[in-house]
Amino acid sequence: MRFPGRHSLLWKLTAALALFCLLLVSLHVDLERLFIQATSRLPAATKAVLTDYAHEAEAAWREAGASGVDAFLARLGEREQVWAVVVDGQQRSLSSQPLDKDERVRLNFVRRLDWPVGRPGGRPTFFVPFSDGEARLVMGLPERLNPRKYLELWSLLLQRVLPATLAVLLGALLYRLLIAPLATLRRQANALHADDLSARAGNVARRRDELGELARAFDHMAERLQATVSLQRQLLRDLSHELRTPLSRLRVAGESGLDAEQLSQRVLKEVDGMQRLVADTLELAWLDTERPRLTAENVELAALWDVLAENVRFESGWSGERLRYQVQGDCRLHCNLNALAQALENVLRNAVRHSPAGGAVHLGGRREGACWHLWLSDEGGGVAEEQLEEIFLPFTRLDGSRPGDGGFGLGLSIARSAIAGQGGRIWAENGAPGLCVHFQLPAA
Amino acid sequence: MLSTDYSAARILAVEDDPLLASHLQAHLQDCGYSVTLSRDGSEGLQLAENEDFDLILMDILLPGTNGLDALQQLRQRRGVPVLLMSALGDEPNRIAGFSQGADDFLPKPFSLGELRVRVEAILRRVAYERREQLPRESGDALWFDEGRCDVALAGNWAGLTPSEYRVLELLWRHMDEALSKPFLYQQALRRGYAQHDRSLDMHVSHIRRKLQAIGYHAGRVETVWGRGYVLVQAGA
Repeated sequence: MRFPGRHSLLWKLTAALALFCLLLVSLHVDLERLFIQATSRLPAATKAVLTDYAHEAEAAWREAGASGVDAFLARLGEREQVWAVVVDGQQRSLSSQPLDKDERVRLNFVRRLDWPVGRPGGRPTFFVPFSDGEARLVMGLPERLNPRKYLELWSLLLQRVLPATLAVLLGALLYRLLIAPLATLRRQANALHADDLSARAGNVARRRDELGELARAFDHMAERLQATVSLQRQLLRDLSHELRTPLSRLRVAGESGLDAEQLSQRVLKEVDGMQRLVADTLELAWLDTERPRLTAENVELAALWDVLAENVRFESGWSGERLRYQVQGDCRLHCNLNALAQALENVLRNAVRHSPAGGAVHLGGRREGACWHLWLSDEGGGVAEEQLEEIFLPFTRLDGSRPGDGGFGLGLSIARSAIAGQGGRIWAENGAPGLCVHFQLPAA
Repeated sequence: MLSTDYSAARILAVEDDPLLASHLQAHLQDCGYSVTLSRDGSEGLQLAENEDFDLILMDILLPGTNGLDALQQLRQRRGVPVLLMSALGDEPNRIAGFSQGADDFLPKPFSLGELRVRVEAILRRVAYERREQLPRESGDALWFDEGRCDVALAGNWAGLTPSEYRVLELLWRHMDEALSKPFLYQQALRRGYAQHDRSLDMHVSHIRRKLQAIGYHAGRVETVWGRGYVLVQAGA
């Protein structure tokens, strides 16, 4: 497995999970501590209630002594169900009931009202001094007044509800992260399915993670599909258009009462033309749509030039001196021989066709790093600057020649596709004079 | 010219288009071959199984058979040369899958002349293989070394590759006789010829350069435009 890159989804997922864990732990710990802290002292209302009890006890004691205290403690016990005693400065009970041993021990662990209530879950005991500062009411904190009476509910919130909520949030985050782009891709796939070949993934393709890669792969596929389909349509349209010319010539020839010899010559000529047209169109469609992986080999350019130049001399009756090989050094290319030969031959034929009488064609070249830069120039009229790219489009004929007379305008398209298949480049410039077609090809 | 001692060969032509089939038959018979015609792929294969043919001429996309498997089987049993015809196109890579089982491949449409050259090339190769190897003449100074696959002139080796050596040797054996490209492909490169295939041309170009480099001027490989190559003796 390849180690994921800097922009991988892995890091986003990891970050989301880490955030989840950190939030969970810190919220849990911090909220619990905050709660404990916030509830560590008695609120003012509770203090007031306890102080009121103390006043009541003091009043009862002052009015009726021990029996008053007894009555008060009985009332208090009934109301709050807590342990309570009233003692003097020496920890002696002021009621008729003396303190037993446990109660005496308990008196050692009492808090003032403004002290913390102690650990959670404990039942703290508070004292409230009487106005003389000696005697005091000592009582357990009634449950209804316990500031921590909701502790269990809080624990439930922190331990169950908080993680569940966070998990839902995390889920939503991941969903947004993962599913929203996928939905975009699904829409694109559906659009392609519905023959809308221009659909693209848009924003998703700009992401730098795996989803972005997927979207770019998707866009690439859609692009290929669109290019292939439009090329095929274009080729079909152009091809049927081009076939009309030789067909109408044949029809006219058939109806014009030529003798058998002339007719047969005419038929063979037109059939040759149509055969070339169909073969070239298929060739181009094949190169462009299947993008075949042709085996590359080391090709000696000088030897190839000899082969092509010899052919051209036969075809055009040119003398050898008009086809000049001026490449510096021993040029060896790493290419598929037949594809390279076809490209070079098409460009060469084009140059020969557009050369003026007596004009020469030069093949120049030099090594540039891992590539060879070659240029083939003629001495013809060149083409208009804005048409330098156009000449590589299929069925482009700039001189307005009739179909079949000066080729079909497929030669340079085939050359471009063949060179592109070799990992090379082909482009045209106007030389001085004439057209100069440049090649960039991998060196052996 | 090409010799014609194999012209009594029996050819089975399997083609479903009646017009093309009858032209094929007439033309091949004019060339002196004995031609059996079959209109259907499976019937044709049946015929090929039962009778002795020197060459089978067959359309790839015939109805009635998924041709290629049957063809492979037939060839395993009988070893008869097969020339496939098809309208699939002539780019060798495009038809690689189809041409595996065949000795040569002829893209449609083809001219009858082209067909004749291909048929001759295959029959001639077969005849060549059956014949005893000719003893090598040593009329000129070029020294052929079979084991090394190279030629030398006065101790200077030309540095030919095995393919180049086979092409040169073939041309040299048939001095002054034009050898067709289909035959040179069949015989020296052991494969069929396709229109855009430049391998043979490149081999010849290399041979010319290498022979020139070792100073061999007694013979010259010349192009017979549109047909093939010939080794001619200088001044002849």
